[in-house]
Amino acid sequence: MPLKHAKWITGIITLLLIFPIVIGLVGTLLPAFAYFPPLGEYSISLVPWRNLFAQGEFYASLKLTLITGIAAPLLALWFALSLLAWGYQRPFFTKVEAALSPILAIPHAAIAIGLLFLLSPSGWLVRLFSPWLTGFDRPPNWITVQDPYGVSLILALVIKEMPYLLFVMLATMRSIKARESLQVGQALGYSRFTLWRKVLIPQLYPIIRLPIFIVVAFSLTVVDLALVIGPNTPSTLAVTLLRWFNDPDLSMRLMASAGAISLMLVIVVVLAGWELAHLLFSKLTRAERSNGKRFGLTDSLLRLGVVLGLLALLNAFLALALLPIWSLARRWRFPDALPSQWTWDNIDRATPLLIELTSNTLTIALIATLLACVISLVMLETKRRSYSTDHGKQHVFDWLIYVPILLPQIGFLFGLHVLLIYLNLNGDLCAIIALHLMYVLPYVYLTLKGPYLAYEEEYLLQANRLNHRPWRNYVLVKIAMLKPAIFTAFAIGFSVSIAQYLPTLIAGEGRYSTLTTEAVAQAASGDRKQVGSMAMLQAFFPIMVFWLAQFIPPRWTKWRLKFKKAFNTGLIEKDKMC
Amino acid sequence: MRKSFVAASIAATLALSSLPTLATSTQTNASQQSWQNTLQQAKGQTVYFNAWGGADNINDYIQWAADRIKAEYDVTLKQVKLTDTSDAVNRVLAEKAAGKNSNGSIDLIWLNGENFRAMKDNNLLFGPFSKSLPNYITYVDENARQSLTQDFGTPVDGMESPWGMAQVIFMHDTATLSNPPKSIADLLTYAKAHPGRITYPEPPQFLGSTFLKQALYELTPYRKALSQPADTVDFDKITAPLWAYLDQLHQVAWRNGQTFPSSSEEMVRLLDDQEIDIALSFDISSASVQIDKGNLPDTVRSYVFTGGTIGNTHFLAIPYNSGAKAGAQVIANFMLSPEAQIKKQTPTVWGDLSVLSYAKLPAAEQAKFDALPRGIATLSIEELGQTLPEPHSSWVGALESEWRKRYAQ
Repeated sequence: MPLKHAKWITGIITLLLIFPIVIGLVGTLLPAFAYFPPLGEYSISLVPWRNLFAQGEFYASLKLTLITGIAAPLLALWFALSLLAWGYQRPFFTKVEAALSPILAIPHAAIAIGLLFLLSPSGWLVRLFSPWLTGFDRPPNWITVQDPYGVSLILALVIKEMPYLLFVMLATMRSIKARESLQVGQALGYSRFTLWRKVLIPQLYPIIRLPIFIVVAFSLTVVDLALVIGPNTPSTLAVTLLRWFNDPDLSMRLMASAGAISLMLVIVVVLAGWELAHLLFSKLTRAERSNGKRFGLTDSLLRLGVVLGLLALLNAFLALALLPIWSLARRWRFPDALPSQWTWDNIDRATPLLIELTSNTLTIALIATLLACVISLVMLETKRRSYSTDHGKQHVFDWLIYVPILLPQIGFLFGLHVLLIYLNLNGDLCAIIALHLMYVLPYVYLTLKGPYLAYEEEYLLQANRLNHRPWRNYVLVKIAMLKPAIFTAFAIGFSVSIAQYLPTLIAGEGRYSTLTTEAVAQAASGDRKQVGSMAMLQAFFPIMVFWLAQFIPPRWTKWRLKFKKAFNTGLIEKDKMC
Repeated sequence: MRKSFVAASIAATLALSSLPTLATSTQTNASQQSWQNTLQQAKGQTVYFNAWGGADNINDYIQWAADRIKAEYDVTLKQVKLTDTSDAVNRVLAEKAAGKNSNGSIDLIWLNGENFRAMKDNNLLFGPFSKSLPNYITYVDENARQSLTQDFGTPVDGMESPWGMAQVIFMHDTATLSNPPKSIADLLTYAKAHPGRITYPEPPQFLGSTFLKQALYELTPYRKALSQPADTVDFDKITAPLWAYLDQLHQVAWRNGQTFPSSSEEMVRLLDDQEIDIALSFDISSASVQIDKGNLPDTVRSYVFTGGTIGNTHFLAIPYNSGAKAGAQVIANFMLSPEAQIKKQTPTVWGDLSVLSYAKLPAAEQAKFDALPRGIATLSIEELGQTLPEPHSSWVGALESEWRKRYAQ
């Protein structure tokens, strides 16, 4: 980017990002040490921590959080790598790719409710086989969802995270020259899975490390998914904290703040452990990777991953398919496999709201995501330039950007809310967009980072040598070549913005409802018909954007040329007329 | 000490004897005058009404009220739909933390019990205001129910205005269960005979906590102690029968007591799916409304325990930093009008019990209340029987944390 003061601009943006983070952190840290003026607490003490460690529920929740928060990203990564290795560049896989976007786009609460309805003892799976096969006239007393071990929560997390990882991986394929490696490797007689295992995955991992970290942090801190499909006796730590923060006894907030700080420490420890495990793993497998064998027994791990990954995807699609059916149902009792009475009423009732909600949702999502894209490009440009001089020294921005998504939303956002009130920005649309930006920016930046830094700068240099118009060349050559990555980043940012619940609620103070705040409010009522209708509406826009992100880039140049041709012909004809 | 006691008794005597005779006319004029001022101030104000938004029919009712209020008083009511009322309490607290003592984001809030106590104790409320609302003066009889002046044992003191009354009811499907258990003890007997078909919402969800209070009330030999703050009595001794009961119940409960439904709405869903046999609600018309929406079969009926069930009153309060206090009072007053209360008690609208005194209503309004249709599954006031009082509000927190310690770890 031929930006003159990129470094300065980066510095200012960094400061702008540091400020709310520090306020949010301080707003969590001080109450954790019993300093909280609104409750008349002015002395620093360790009482909140002592209270926290005296709570049996804290340890039980922590254990559950660790189980679900580590198992889910591990499985998601395994399945995603397996599916990619199995299907990449095969004709049918483009269909799988296109099918991923709905799952990515649909808010997690809706997926969880769909899963609940699919898998619960009165769910569709049991209905399908009842009573003719199972003999059940009434649902069995099984624990298939909200199980105490968190299996159903892990499944829901995997369904949400696997497509995200796959999506990010697909966007980086060009930068690691996957196609070329596969061609060469296969010519040398390596099997497909072995090639991925030995050559491509080790290259891929460093580029997608950051998305993986996000997925881990998400698994450890997710609230809405865990509320719907997670166990609640005990619940995961994030949900337990939410309950403490919401306790009418306001002094519980101090202990909750201490809990929020410990949840943050948990994330740090888990991520460190994850990296250590990866180091060990790659050391241990180094010899095997370079032994020259064309096949390997461990290929079967990838094969198993494909089967399980496809099963998880199938689950997701069944769950999603049930939502529209529910939105049209009037009576649908166990053990009917389909509704006995249908109606349009559920949809009709949701329609009047839709116009207001949609305009709010789109305004926030589009502005926040566009800003995030521009900021990311500026930041990455600064980083690219310093690459050659500093040999890839980490810019402060690189770790700063993790902070908002690594901090548990529930503690952090309360601290931030106080800042918004000071600035008199509470309940303002700008405040909502700003908070959304904070959560959208990291996803956009990290999605763009790999491809942008892996870009072969020589193309741009050559273009500038031929015709020195830096801005024009930057847009028409570099940005144009990075189109797939930018579109992907935009789609992900957009869906992240749409799915935000707490930031919208806290910054908007409920004065601005979005499709998501409304859908979560409805989800609380447990009415599957309402939830079905709302989730469908809510999913529509992200799905559209994801579809466009895949549809436009490969056709862009063709359209552009066609348009140019038509325009030129028009000009020529005009000339002729004259 | 003695001095203040004397002063208090003089004041009380004055209030009892002289006020009605001497001061009525001038006071009425003064209060009418000040109400006229309030109406004047309220014109053009926008009131952000923070209310739990989990039920469609209630949201529709609030929208109806908003339209009526706009037309009559030129006050704009905007509902902010909450998933949990304590979110709003937290928001007012955050505003106080930031020193935003005027033009706060919340103008009116729907609450009771613990949330009211938290706001009152932390000086987050505006008031007293409710006793000077014209409709309160005209139609509310404070002696009709204890819960009108004691919100879960916390004195109301005019800091919130009553809106409606609720009572615990049970729902069962007559097609599968014709003779439902009508006491806490019978419920356990039934659960043992039909394992996996009985459950209750998970505390601290308010209905779940209410179930604990109901069970405690029936099981403990020390009922009187429940009106005392929980930390001033022997909590372990009083609640021992409750935990013994729950230990037995959970073994034969839905999902073996390892998970619990999250709300009354989820219980309705489970009842419809026939996963459970009995659902609870705090909304006496719940069964009729859900049948009407196609969420329950029309064979479902409501019932209450023979010994009575717990009931309470829910209120509207105004945060201390609201920028539209006049508008909020106009709304609280409108909500107390016979028109609004009749509409609210209509089973297909909401079915929430009126807080007005039937005896204080003009004959025409009484006739309208009499003419209200009842849904096929809604109990009449007589059938609802005795209302058990809520224990002191400190019991909620104490029972919840003990419950979580025992069953949620």
